[in-house]
Amino acid sequence: MRRYCDNRQGTIPPGVFDSHLYDEFELRAKAVSAEVFRVTRADEAINIILAIVNDTGVKTVASVSCPLIEASGIVDALKGNGVAVYTEQARIAEHIGVADIGMSGVAFGIAECGSVCQDALAVETRLVSSLPPLHIAFMKSRNIVPGIEEALEIISGFFTAGYVSWITGPSRTADIERVLTIGVHGPARLVIIAVDEGPDEGAA
Amino acid sequence: MMSNRRNLKREIHEKLNDHVLRDALARFAEVYPGAREKALEGIEDVEGLRQRLRDMKRDAVARIDELADKFEAEATKRGITVFRAKTGEDLKQYILDLCRNRGVKGVVKSKSMASEEVDLNPALEEAGIGVTETDLGEWIISLAGHKPSHMVMPAIHLNRYQVSEYFSGELETAIEPDIAFMVQTARVTLREKFLRADMGITGANFGIAENGAVGLLTNEGNARLVTTLPPIHVVIIGYEKLIPTVRDAAPILRLLPRGATAQLMTSYMSLISGRTPVMVKRNGGWVEGEKEVHYILLDNGRLAAARDDTFREIYQCIRCGSCLNVCPVYALVGGHVYGGHTYAGGIGAILTAFMSGMKAFEEFNELCIGCRRCTTVCPGMIDIPGLIEELRLRSVKEHGLPFLMNKIFDVMTNRRLFHGLLRAASVAQKPFTSAGLVRHLPLFLAGMTKDRSLPSIANVPLRDRLDNVIKKIDNPVQRVGFFSGCTMDFVFPETGENVIRVLQDLDMEVAYPDGQGCCGKPVSATGDVEHAKKIAMNNIEAFEECDVDVIVCACPTGVEQIRGYPRLFEDDAQWKGRAQRMAGRIEEFCSFVAREYEKRGRLEKASPRPDAVKVTYHDSCHLKRVLGVSEEPRKLIESVAGCELVEMKDADACCGMSGAFGVTHSNLSIPILKRKMKHIEETGAEIVACACSGCMVQLRGGIDRLTPDKKMKHIADILAENIIN
Repeated sequence: MRRYCDNRQGTIPPGVFDSHLYDEFELRAKAVSAEVFRVTRADEAINIILAIVNDTGVKTVASVSCPLIEASGIVDALKGNGVAVYTEQARIAEHIGVADIGMSGVAFGIAECGSVCQDALAVETRLVSSLPPLHIAFMKSRNIVPGIEEALEIISGFFTAGYVSWITGPSRTADIERVLTIGVHGPARLVIIAVDEGPDEGAA
Repeated sequence: MMSNRRNLKREIHEKLNDHVLRDALARFAEVYPGAREKALEGIEDVEGLRQRLRDMKRDAVARIDELADKFEAEATKRGITVFRAKTGEDLKQYILDLCRNRGVKGVVKSKSMASEEVDLNPALEEAGIGVTETDLGEWIISLAGHKPSHMVMPAIHLNRYQVSEYFSGELETAIEPDIAFMVQTARVTLREKFLRADMGITGANFGIAENGAVGLLTNEGNARLVTTLPPIHVVIIGYEKLIPTVRDAAPILRLLPRGATAQLMTSYMSLISGRTPVMVKRNGGWVEGEKEVHYILLDNGRLAAARDDTFREIYQCIRCGSCLNVCPVYALVGGHVYGGHTYAGGIGAILTAFMSGMKAFEEFNELCIGCRRCTTVCPGMIDIPGLIEELRLRSVKEHGLPFLMNKIFDVMTNRRLFHGLLRAASVAQKPFTSAGLVRHLPLFLAGMTKDRSLPSIANVPLRDRLDNVIKKIDNPVQRVGFFSGCTMDFVFPETGENVIRVLQDLDMEVAYPDGQGCCGKPVSATGDVEHAKKIAMNNIEAFEECDVDVIVCACPTGVEQIRGYPRLFEDDAQWKGRAQRMAGRIEEFCSFVAREYEKRGRLEKASPRPDAVKVTYHDSCHLKRVLGVSEEPRKLIESVAGCELVEMKDADACCGMSGAFGVTHSNLSIPILKRKMKHIEETGAEIVACACSGCMVQLRGGIDRLTPDKKMKHIADILAENIIN
C-alpha cells in the first residue's frame, strides 16, 4: 500500500508526543461523539470490535493494513466469525459501497481538539474512512500531540505532496434547523482504538 | 443579478415577516456569543493568536505576487495544471472547455463561495452538465432555487417542513419531515451522485505556497468524497486564500472552526497536494490511476484590492462568518437582503465592492450600522465598519450625494440657519407631543421617518439655559470647555446642565462657546468630506476663542468625530494644525470625571443604601469599542450610595439607534431595540444608565413605549443628582 513516508517516526522530533496528553485527547474526542477504547495490547481490540459486529449485524468489513491492525489479529477474528473482510485495494474499491465497517490506522492524535491525523495518500485509506457508516481507527495511545500547532509542525516535516486528513468525531451537519445530526456523508460512528503496547505507530 | 430598481426596504420588510428565518436567526444570535467564548477557552492568548493571524495575512498580501508564483510553481511541479482566471467569465470558460475535452457529464461540488460569486452552476447547467452541490444546506437551497441566507448555514431560513417539501418534489416520493430521516435520504441520494461524477469541484480554505497544497474543512465529509471519488479535481481558489507555509495554517485552523460554529475543529480537515491516487474502472475491474488536478486561481477584483493600501485588509478574512454571527442587522434579516451577492453583511459589502463594483456596494452598505461588534470577534482583526466608511467616502467622491441629502447638509453647515430651524421645530411639533415624545422628527429627518416615537426638540435648548447653571467658580482648578453636540443641546438640555454641574462640583470653570454646532458626524458618516470640513472649521474657531485646556464632551460620537478632525485637512497644513490642537484637548466625560474623582478619592465603591435604586448600564457601541471606555461609567455608578449596579445580558450589544440608521431603517432598528429592552427588563432595574446621547434617544423611545415605569439617565444625570442630594 502507498504511504507518503515509510519512516515518519524519523521526521517527528523527539519529545513531541506525550502520553500525559491521552486523557485530554480522550475527553475531547468523546466530546465530539467519537467512541474511544483504550487497550493495553492490540489483540484486546478483537472483543470490542466483535461486540460491535454482533450488535449491529455487520456482514462486510473493508480494512487497510497497518502495524497495529496486523498485530491485533482482528482480520482473522472477523473472518472466523463469518464476516467478509476485504483488504486488497481493488477488492476494497469494489465492495466499499456495501461495507458496514471501514478500518484504518492513524498516525497521532491532537489533544487540543480530539482529532486523529491520518496519512491518507493511499486511496483505499480514504475509501475505508469515508464511505462506510462506521470507521474504526487504530492508534498508539502515546502518540498524542498537545495542539494544532504541534500537529502542523510534524506535518510540515514530511508533507511535500500527498493527502493528509484530520478526522474529528463522526460526520455531522446542522443544516436543517440547526439540529445536530450525525452521519451525513461520512461515517455516522467513529470508533478509536488506542493501544498502549506493540508496534510504534498505527499509521497506514 | 440585481436590477437598479430593487427596493431594499420592501425586501427587508419581507424578511422581517419571515418568521422561520427570524426565529432561527434570533435563537442563533442568543447562543452564539457564549458558545464562541467556550470554544476559545482552551486558547491561552486569544488576542495574541488573532494578531498572529492578522500579521501572517498582512505579510501574505504584501508579497502576493511572489506567493502566487511560488504556489503555481510548486503545484505545477507536482503535476497540477494551474490557470489564473482574471474574471468569472475566464473561470467558467476554462471549466466548460475542460468538461468538453474530457467528456464530463456529471459534476459534484463541495462548498465554494468563489464559484457562487461567479455564477458557475448556471453556466454548467446551460451547457448540459449535471452539477450537484453536496453540502446538505447548499443542496437544499439548490432544490429550492434559493440563494444562501447564511455563510455557514445556507438554509437557515427553511424549517423541516419546507425542506421535506423540496425533498419530496425532487425524489418524487413523500419524504417525512423528520430531520434524521431527511439527512439519511440526502446521504443515499447524493452518494449515487458522488459515485457517478466525472469531476469534483471544491473551493479551498487556504492554499500553501511552499508545497502547492490546499486545505479543506468540512463537517459532513463531502469534500473528502469530492476529492477522492471522481478522476478529475478542480480547485477554485481566490488569491486571498494563499499563505506562505504549512505552519502558517495554524492560526487559521485554530480560529476558523471556533469562530464559525464554535467547534474546536471541523469533523474533517484535509491537506491535499499533487496528483493523488484515484480508483478507476478498467475492463470491468478497479485499478489505481492518477487523479487529474486543476487549480484555478481567481482574481475577479482581488488583485486590485491587494494593491490598495487600505483595502488589502480584506485579505485578512478567512470566511468564518463570525462578524455576521454578532451583527445586529444580520441577525434580523439574514443574508438575502444583501442584493443576492454571495458575500453578506458588512464584510460582504466590502468584498462585493471589489468583486462586483461600487454600484453593488451602494445597494446595501447602509445595512452596516457601525456598532463595531464585529471588530471584537473577527479572527483577522479587520476593521469592517472603518473600511465601509472609507468606501462610502470613495462612493461620494465618485457619484456625489443624493440631492436631498446634499441640501440638508447645506443647512446643517449653516449653524445659525440650522439652529433656527431646530428652534422653530420645538414650536412646530407641539401638536404632536405626547409624554415628551413626538411621533415625527421635525425637518431634516421628517421625510425619513414614520411610526416612531423619538424624543422631542426641547422648548429651551441648552445654549439658552446657561445663565441659570453656569456659576463663577472662585479659584478654579481648571478651565474646561463644554462641547455639547446637537442632541444634548436641543433634545436633552437637562443632561447638558448636569454635565456642567458635575464639572463645577469639581471646582472647574465651565465655558460654553455659543459658536459651537453639530460635530459633523451625521455628515461625514455618509462620506461627505466637504460639508464635514466646514462644520469642523466652525467648531475649531468657536473653541479657539474661549481658550481652554480641556474640552469635555458627554457624547462618544462627538469625541470620536473631533479626534478625527485633523484627518479632514490632510491637504491644508494650517487648518490641520488647528484641528490637531482641538483634537488634542477633547476629553470624554465619563473617563475624564472618573479620573478627577479618583484624584479626589471619590471613585471608591460606595456601599449601597437600603433604599438604593437598581441601575443597569448600557454600553454605547462607540464609547466601548471606539473609545475603549466601559469600566469608568460603571465605577461612577457604583460610587453613588443611592445606586446599585446590576448588569444586563449583552450590555454592549447595539441599541439600534446608530445615528440616522435608527430613523432611516426604523423597521430594523425597532426589533434591535426590543431585544435590548428585553434584557433591560430581565434585570429588574428602575434606571437605565448610559453615556451617549444617541443611545439615549433610542432607549428613551423604547422605555416610553415598552416599559414606562423605568427611567433613562445619562451618567451625568446620576452624578449631578447625587451632588444635589
